[in-house]
Amino acid sequence: MPYVSIVVPAYNVARTLPETLRALLAQSFVDFEILVIDDGSTDETANVVRGFQSDDRVRLISQRNRGLAGARNSGIAAARGGLIGFCDADDTWEPEKLNIHVRHLHANPDVGVSYSGSALMDEESIQLGRYQSPRLLAVRPEHIFKRNPIGNGSAPVMRRAVFDAIAYRPAFEAERDWYFDETFRQSEDIECWLRIALTTAWCFEGVEGHLTNYRINASGLSANTDRQLASWENMVTKLRPINPTFFDTHEAAARSYQYRYLARRAVSDLDGARAWDHVLLSLQQSHRPVLEEPMKTVQTVVAAAALKIVGPGALRPFLLAKGTKS
Amino acid sequence: MTCPLKVVHLVDDTTAGGVTRVVDFILSSNATQSEIRHERQIVSRGKLQVTRYDADVIVSHLTVSWRSLPSLLLLKASNVGKRLIHVEHSYTEAFVAHNVTNQRRFFSLLRNGFSLFDRIVSVSFAQADWFVAQKLCAGDKVSTIQSCVDLAPFQDIPMRDGPARIFAAIGRLDRQKGFDALIVAFKACAAEDIRLHVFGEGEEEEHLRALAAGDTRIEFKGFAASPIDALAQVDVVIMPSRWEAYGLVAIEALSANRTLICTDVDGLRDHKSLGAEFFEQYSIGCISSKIAEVRSRAAGSAKENDRRSKPLGEIFLSKWQALLSEQQEASVNRPAITSSEVQ
Repeated sequence: MPYVSIVVPAYNVARTLPETLRALLAQSFVDFEILVIDDGSTDETANVVRGFQSDDRVRLISQRNRGLAGARNSGIAAARGGLIGFCDADDTWEPEKLNIHVRHLHANPDVGVSYSGSALMDEESIQLGRYQSPRLLAVRPEHIFKRNPIGNGSAPVMRRAVFDAIAYRPAFEAERDWYFDETFRQSEDIECWLRIALTTAWCFEGVEGHLTNYRINASGLSANTDRQLASWENMVTKLRPINPTFFDTHEAAARSYQYRYLARRAVSDLDGARAWDHVLLSLQQSHRPVLEEPMKTVQTVVAAAALKIVGPGALRPFLLAKGTKS
Repeated sequence: MTCPLKVVHLVDDTTAGGVTRVVDFILSSNATQSEIRHERQIVSRGKLQVTRYDADVIVSHLTVSWRSLPSLLLLKASNVGKRLIHVEHSYTEAFVAHNVTNQRRFFSLLRNGFSLFDRIVSVSFAQADWFVAQKLCAGDKVSTIQSCVDLAPFQDIPMRDGPARIFAAIGRLDRQKGFDALIVAFKACAAEDIRLHVFGEGEEEEHLRALAAGDTRIEFKGFAASPIDALAQVDVVIMPSRWEAYGLVAIEALSANRTLICTDVDGLRDHKSLGAEFFEQYSIGCISSKIAEVRSRAAGSAKENDRRSKPLGEIFLSKWQALLSEQQEASVNRPAITSSEVQ
């Protein structure tokens, strides 16, 4: 049995998958299997995986398209390791990443979800000099709700027991359990993390370093913000009964952060009107982001205002230097 | 003739809840067997007192907390040579998720607390699995004895004819029980011929009544002095608990052959083998759709004989007997009680 299973959801990623697999196979901790879940790809994804199967740690599982959550669920169901890591098929891991998480989980039996910060890179795998540097310690459910310290789908390495604790099976599902909710096409990560935090006793804890390289796509980010917001609201509606007091206390602040995040994405897309709308919505919801993260919030307000009043020229020099996401 | 094994059960919860009823049931076995003599001692929670009990085995049904830890230490120190067993009636994985802000500190409390005892009794298999998974104590130190009460009167409750129309929520009106979510989910069910009877009282009552306002299908019945009478009037029992170490209401409902639907959480998972059904997830949509599904079925169940034939009470008492007999070898002679208060 491998010690760790690394789940790689793969949908039409023939172009980026080799880089991901090379990075995973180069991990200094070697006792793992890689489960590439080919989620109904119509490109050469499956052939790319076969090209790597001279290393018998690489397994290919092909399924009809079930979406990101469905691919991850199939990976978890097939995983043989006691620890399960995730790496999206366009991201990469630093060589020490797995080793550090394995040690972290070994030394901390109360931690169920270990994660790290990430470095952002562009489509050409060029580091943008921007980072996700989340809160690492004393992580409470409200931190996950408001700022999701896990950050992206290639950051966590988790105990299988965490998934066992939240497994369920919808009546119509014949094949395997669900862990991520496959009815969500966005917000599936945060829904799962928050459900773990609200219903299990496992701790979330981060390790130092930017151990994941997270790829940012340059275009079309804010086009889906309405859908993203709708799925975030669906998550709140779904999870609220688990702990109404928690949502009464933190929902407005979390929604404010959510609007601020969407405002920042609109800024990245140079969409001044949308950015400013989301800034206003964020401030109407709650002032917590101003109090808790004043610099970042003020920066967002100023950027959105400049974009709306002056136009894209006001921000272009910054954006070229700094990349597009956070 | 050999002397019976003397067992003292220490309790600090004297409310009419689960702990009292379970200890009552253990004590009732004094009437039917002579090898073990059970006795109950009520102690003040956390009070520091040096008491050497006149018993071979001491069974703690006490609350483990940072405040009570010194008194548990003193209990051990005052009873050197006696076997100490702790029954954990409260703490579960979901309890921690809902009530604990610093998990590590809490786990450290439980590890320290549990380490004072020779054996830990979990009240459900799910709870035992969690103790072991979270490394709160070694697997070979845990015995699982699912809680029980005298179920005979529940087994005698007559079956009800016709389709499932009357749903019941039975228990303290406390956020733990999740009746708020149930009421919202019930209101979302369109069927006019279903009823929800809420039995119990507690601090959430006003809030729950406000949630139910305007829906005449929901009735608050107050505290059920006789759970037997309450169950006799209903077709389905719903337990939307947010955490539950075992859930005596579940085995009472199943013994009465009522359909039971509950949260897939903690000790409620133990009832699956007895026929309990679960909400797919803890959401309004899932609770509503389960109510609708049960409503569309015929009342009663083909599993009647299975359920009623499960001798849960016998299993409970014989497991206690076996566990206590195991301790006999290790226990020493029994001096008289000496009690002196330190504080």
